[in-house]
Amino acid sequence: MMTAAPAAGWTGLMLGLAGSVVLAVFGFLAQFRPAAVRRQQLVVGAGFMLGGSALAMGALQVALLTDNFAVAYVAENHARATSTLFSITTAWAALEGSLVLWVLVLSGFTAVVMRGVRDTGDRLGAGALGVLGAVGAFFFGLVVLAGNPFEILAEAPADGPGPNPILADHVLMAVHPPLLYLGYVGLTVPFAFAMSALLGRVPGVEWLHRTRRSNLVAWSFLTAGLVVGAWWSYEVLGWGGYWAWDPVENAALVPWLVATAFLHSAVVQVRRGMLQSWNFVLVLAAFALTILGTFLTRSAVVQSVHSFSQSDVGPPLLAFFVVVVVAGFVLIALRADHIASHGRPESPASREGMFLLNNLLLSLFAFIVLLGTLYPVVLEAITDEQVSVGRPFFDRMAVPIGFGLLLAMWAGPVTPYRHASVAVVWGRTRVPLLLAALAAVAVLLAGVRSVGIVAVVALATGIAATTVRQVLVTAPARTPAGVWRLVRGRRGYWGGQLAHLGVALFAVVVAVSSGLADRSTVRLDRGESVAFAGYTLTFDYVDEHELPDRLVTDAHITVRAGDEVVRTMAPRLNSFPGRPQAVGNPDVWSTPAQDVYVALGNLEPEQITLNLFRYPLMVWMWVAGGMVAAGGFWALSGPRRGARNPQPGTARTAEQVSGDA
Amino acid sequence: MREHSLRRGSVLIGVAVLLLSGVVAVVLVLAPAPERDRVQDLAEGLRCPVCTSVSVAESPSDTAVAMRQVISDQVAAGRSDEEVVNYFRARYGDWTVIDPPASGSTLLLWALPIAAAVAGSVALLARSLPRAVSPSAELSDEERDRVEAAVERHRAMPGRREVDP
Repeated sequence: MMTAAPAAGWTGLMLGLAGSVVLAVFGFLAQFRPAAVRRQQLVVGAGFMLGGSALAMGALQVALLTDNFAVAYVAENHARATSTLFSITTAWAALEGSLVLWVLVLSGFTAVVMRGVRDTGDRLGAGALGVLGAVGAFFFGLVVLAGNPFEILAEAPADGPGPNPILADHVLMAVHPPLLYLGYVGLTVPFAFAMSALLGRVPGVEWLHRTRRSNLVAWSFLTAGLVVGAWWSYEVLGWGGYWAWDPVENAALVPWLVATAFLHSAVVQVRRGMLQSWNFVLVLAAFALTILGTFLTRSAVVQSVHSFSQSDVGPPLLAFFVVVVVAGFVLIALRADHIASHGRPESPASREGMFLLNNLLLSLFAFIVLLGTLYPVVLEAITDEQVSVGRPFFDRMAVPIGFGLLLAMWAGPVTPYRHASVAVVWGRTRVPLLLAALAAVAVLLAGVRSVGIVAVVALATGIAATTVRQVLVTAPARTPAGVWRLVRGRRGYWGGQLAHLGVALFAVVVAVSSGLADRSTVRLDRGESVAFAGYTLTFDYVDEHELPDRLVTDAHITVRAGDEVVRTMAPRLNSFPGRPQAVGNPDVWSTPAQDVYVALGNLEPEQITLNLFRYPLMVWMWVAGGMVAAGGFWALSGPRRGARNPQPGTARTAEQVSGDA
Repeated sequence: MREHSLRRGSVLIGVAVLLLSGVVAVVLVLAPAPERDRVQDLAEGLRCPVCTSVSVAESPSDTAVAMRQVISDQVAAGRSDEEVVNYFRARYGDWTVIDPPASGSTLLLWALPIAAAVAGSVALLARSLPRAVSPSAELSDEERDRVEAAVERHRAMPGRREVDP
């Protein structure tokens, strides 16, 4: 019976591979000769992809949960003592399993696209299915040939080493990778529709209408995945930070930035018919960058905290990246005459102009992050010289761009389309401007003398006040019900505004938590106390707990304000049998005003070294990230509009469109 | 009358904003420069040799703790920033500097973003500045009629729609 699960998994992968090849062939065929293909044939292809990948994932789960150590992946990444939750998450804790998750998510998105293709006369949809099938064929092939988790070991070991300790430590590990994959892989769908439009010479904005939802889905999940990842890094890794400009973090950030740019420039094309070729470039870039990111992190060319496993998937991924980029740009170049838009903004001072500025800043940001990530790799390949590019470089670049984006976020959403007069924009921003100035004074009165913090708080106040003003001015009635009707009505705009508010809050937290942080490293003997952040911390004792899969060593610390005990904290060290590396967990005491963060540096029964941090407002960072993702989901939640069956009654007049704000 | 009060409101707000920003600027300029923690600054620019992607300042590892101590000792001994950085560079190579200099093999790293920013801004301005109006932009009466007829036809079409972004 030991071979039933891997055999089923292997069968699933082969079925998926076959299904994706079928889908690719019939999809492309249908685009050029719709009559030659029946819809049923496409459904079979997509169905086999989904069924096959679901079978593979199911088999992997069964193998993990039944301790089937005859399966190579289980033997390498699982232990009998691993808890059920982390047994499940082990399915994506190493390379091969995460590729299975990848094909499962891709097949899921393909099935959703399939549902939207009503018949083979839908050339755009059929072509997109063809592209999805081709991408699916590559990834199924990759799992089968280079990253197969279902290899059967001749001699099954009695037990395994368990998952990488860092990955079996916190419940967030159950959500972070799937969220990120939903975002990462979701970017394939806009790419598929864009390529299909180019291949089939389908002009206009239909491909944008049809990818709007999937693009928003991908973007929202990617946002959530990034935020959860940052949170996890902060709560688990114990280094006191949330973002290290690590290559893998960058590899997820760059597609996010490009997808954000696309989210905005798509509006310009839909509304004003501009930027068509640019949109194709952005969609192509976002998808290609996900492949490049996967290559970077899975092929050991960069050192990263995320390089949990390496294998021989590197070369195929790099080859696929090159093929995608070359084919994509050739296609854009060949069909540019069909798609190039000749429209241009009537005036730089207009919503279009602001969108262009947004695109410039986001693309520049993406370019710089990519440059900083690739520079050491490329330089070493060419000259053998080893250099590092780290936080100082990225921070210095990100700060001015961040300020530019905040400014654009403030003025952009209240700038009218076509031509904005100074009077209109001033009228909409003058009161918020006053509030922003007052906020800056308030920050000074609070004793802060950092230019950065004052500026960020002022800008964020301006953005928030402008949004609130827009709500009050444009709501049908200034009652909760009226406001509700407003934000339910135009979800695209108000979802975007919610995301903007989230970004503004996020910027404030970044500035305040880094600018006003306290940190300290102290060595304490048992019973000794230290003063930190207005509290007295006393090291009481160390004790050990034996858990099935690990040995936990806690250091108990009492936190007093004056003489009153306000908190006991217990940063800990987890050691896993068979793993040399012990994993520390900090203890974080979060309150709305500040986080007190205690991490173990060194631990002996009678003496400990503690890394202490105090971060003001830190907890709001996760709230802000949640707001950004929620903005995306809010924009998605609107009533679905069948792209191919325009419904009467949804028309809005040109005046409303150009005059709205 | 309303127009008048609106304008007066604008003037008042404008003056208040200018005054407040002036106050903020003056306070910030006059504020004493924060004391630089040289040890922290130096640690932030050096890569922890046993970790991935984090600086000596951020890493909780023993090596980083030891390196912070070395930095602290050297600063206390009166060495300059450059001397401290060169000390570590001699031991671990250029790789240990995570704030690469804008010269030599890492010059491009700093030059390319600036070049991209300039190129992007130029492209953006070229795109968004109104083109010189060419004479052919004026429509003839016949063309104008055709456009109007097309607009009418479009208006009459059922199911016309706009799509939210």
